[in-house]
Amino acid sequence: MIVTFAHMGNLWVVVKTILEDLGVEVVVPPRPSRKSLDLGVRHSPEFACFPLKLNIGDFIGGLERGAEAVVMVGGVGPCRLGHYAQVQEQILRDLGYRCEMIVLEPPRGRLSDLLAKVRYLTGNKPLGRVWRAVRFGLEKLSALDALDQALARVRPLERGPGPAEDVHRRAVGAVAAAADVGTVRRAAAEGVRAIEGCVSPEAAGDGAAVLRVGLVGEIYMVEEPFANQELERRLGGLGVEVRRAVYLSDWVRTHLLPNPFRLGRRCRTSLVRRAAAPYLGHFVGGEGLVSVGESVLLSREGYDGVIHVAPFTCMPEIVASSLLPEVSRDLGLPVMSLFLDEHTAEAGLVTRIEAFVDLLARRRAAREAGARPPAAQGKARSAT
Amino acid sequence: MTRGPFPWLREGSAVGLPRALLYYELYPFWRGFFEELGFRVVDSGPTSREVLEAGVREAVDEACLPVKAFYGHVVSLRDRVDAVFLPRLVSLERGTYTCPKLLGLPDMVRHNISRLPPAIIADFDETRPGKGLKEAAVRLARRLGRGARLARAAVARGLESLALFRKALWSGLWFESAVQEARRAEGRGGVMRPRAAGRPVSGLQAPGRRAPEPAARRAGRLRVGLVGHSYNLFDPGVNLGLCEKLRRLGCDIVTSESLSEEEVRAESVKMPKEIFWSSGRRVLAAVSRFRREGLVDGIIHIESFGCGPESMVGEIAERETRRQSRMPYMVLTVDEHTGEAGLLTRLEAFVDLIERRRDGRGGRGREEAG
Repeated sequence: MIVTFAHMGNLWVVVKTILEDLGVEVVVPPRPSRKSLDLGVRHSPEFACFPLKLNIGDFIGGLERGAEAVVMVGGVGPCRLGHYAQVQEQILRDLGYRCEMIVLEPPRGRLSDLLAKVRYLTGNKPLGRVWRAVRFGLEKLSALDALDQALARVRPLERGPGPAEDVHRRAVGAVAAAADVGTVRRAAAEGVRAIEGCVSPEAAGDGAAVLRVGLVGEIYMVEEPFANQELERRLGGLGVEVRRAVYLSDWVRTHLLPNPFRLGRRCRTSLVRRAAAPYLGHFVGGEGLVSVGESVLLSREGYDGVIHVAPFTCMPEIVASSLLPEVSRDLGLPVMSLFLDEHTAEAGLVTRIEAFVDLLARRRAAREAGARPPAAQGKARSAT
Repeated sequence: MTRGPFPWLREGSAVGLPRALLYYELYPFWRGFFEELGFRVVDSGPTSREVLEAGVREAVDEACLPVKAFYGHVVSLRDRVDAVFLPRLVSLERGTYTCPKLLGLPDMVRHNISRLPPAIIADFDETRPGKGLKEAAVRLARRLGRGARLARAAVARGLESLALFRKALWSGLWFESAVQEARRAEGRGGVMRPRAAGRPVSGLQAPGRRAPEPAARRAGRLRVGLVGHSYNLFDPGVNLGLCEKLRRLGCDIVTSESLSEEEVRAESVKMPKEIFWSSGRRVLAAVSRFRREGLVDGIIHIESFGCGPESMVGEIAERETRRQSRMPYMVLTVDEHTGEAGLLTRLEAFVDLIERRRDGRGGRGREEAG
């Protein structure tokens, strides 16, 4: 059985590593592009959220390259992700693809169901063997997150388009190709060093002057540069250091792994919950609560502003975007919500980002001059 | 936050119920419950143009029309009540959720609406033991300063009203008529009039007070299956008078609300994975019954623009219908920008189509969503 899956940032490296480690043949679909998006949009429900449409494009890409099965995650609600598989299966079936959908659902309710799926997918490999492969995959994930973080730090210090992007891409390739934990760690360390070597000499001491923006929102939109129109690269080019509130390795630890291994992240989870409580007192599915809580935490950590990204019509993030203007007002933290989908025009987005960065820069300058900073509140929300 | 005791509320204080969203599922419960506790229940009234406009002004752009309508109803209660009731309805049935937006609704409302009357916020969650409607309502009554016995009595009264109301809905009554019928039955010690009792799915629903004729189709009239969220089906302010328009075009209406809970469950377990939105389960169950048993001449699915659950459920329903039958199926998406003229044109076209179909004059199966 040849398996394909959907892209989400660097995730392909991890999925490929785990599956191949377990002897499953894998087809990695081409990176999301205008072409795959067009395919996805054509065959998906009009009001499905953006990630579903991009997934469909990826699946078609993989199936056209010989895959016979699609593996993806499921969920137990109330976010739509939990029903992606059912809808996507129908779409692919109506398109005439004879493929199997293997849905790995988070272990709530019956753990045995998840294990049965895993056994089926891996051709009955012993669970210990599966666990070793997963751990190796996660090792790579942490390495990739470290590379992304290094790139985010270095971009604003590059002063114009420099080699950091290429160095980063090569480092990702090295991590992807690594065959054991030692090599992964070495590749990551070397990669981080090489990326940091790209700082332009005249900017070397400017670290403290760089504007810092936290990125919160729906995990797919945060992680997938094609979906968020390369938000991080654009902000980096404008001299802004971007930190995602949740990196994929954090997300996997909180969502997909059994209890004992997410202790550290759990602390953060309860911190987030407490920070969000004055605004939102209940989980709302997806990352809605996290977006609110992390925005509060980012403000406490001294970030200059927060950008909130979500797919158009995303339910949990609509709740968050209703509450973020309050967070913004209370904490004096500029927040911009971006709802993105296939209709988002690049020029409009760039203008909004530039205006936002401008606002942050003026506030920083005013604060340093001891004056009252300009108001954090513009109209902090708007559609695509 | 308005938690804890509510000292300003006394016997006869007015508690406002915004007439939107799950009001259409639970109104009889809330009314019975609060009345038994000695409060005066104030209903915010029909969804008018002004209500919608106020809602559109106060809510984020991305919110769906029913949520905006809810905002508008809260605004309209502003100076009329001592407290507004904002239940957080997480789950109405084990294994299901309502919708993420409803999970955040009380927080959205209390932060987004200025000069909000004091809010009574309580969480209701059937997925967690001890947090369901019954138990949470008892706790709410206690928080409102009532004794344990009265609290239990109020919940019992609410549940009784709710059960009667649901029975009336399944018998084919329209929302308002079902509310009235339930109320009358309460006066008679829970006895429903025979024609209103126990006639699931096959019963017809028609706006208006009269209980409809039984399953036999009325001569010359078409029958349309109308599926969607109850707040879209039953609120003419949100659906632009869709039902009245259909009726004028010579159609009788059967809605997804006329399935009993058992019927919904029986259909739902047949799915490869049960839908975890309660409304979605109902819609899919209704569509598959309508289609399989040929209970209607065509199906109209009314959705709110940007509705998350419906974007998924509707897609499954539409694809299955198309694959397994020639039943005409139309998706109507409404929001605050939908024009009545456009809606009417589409309805006329659809009714034309199902009429031709019924009279054996063919015609293609489906109209595209737009």
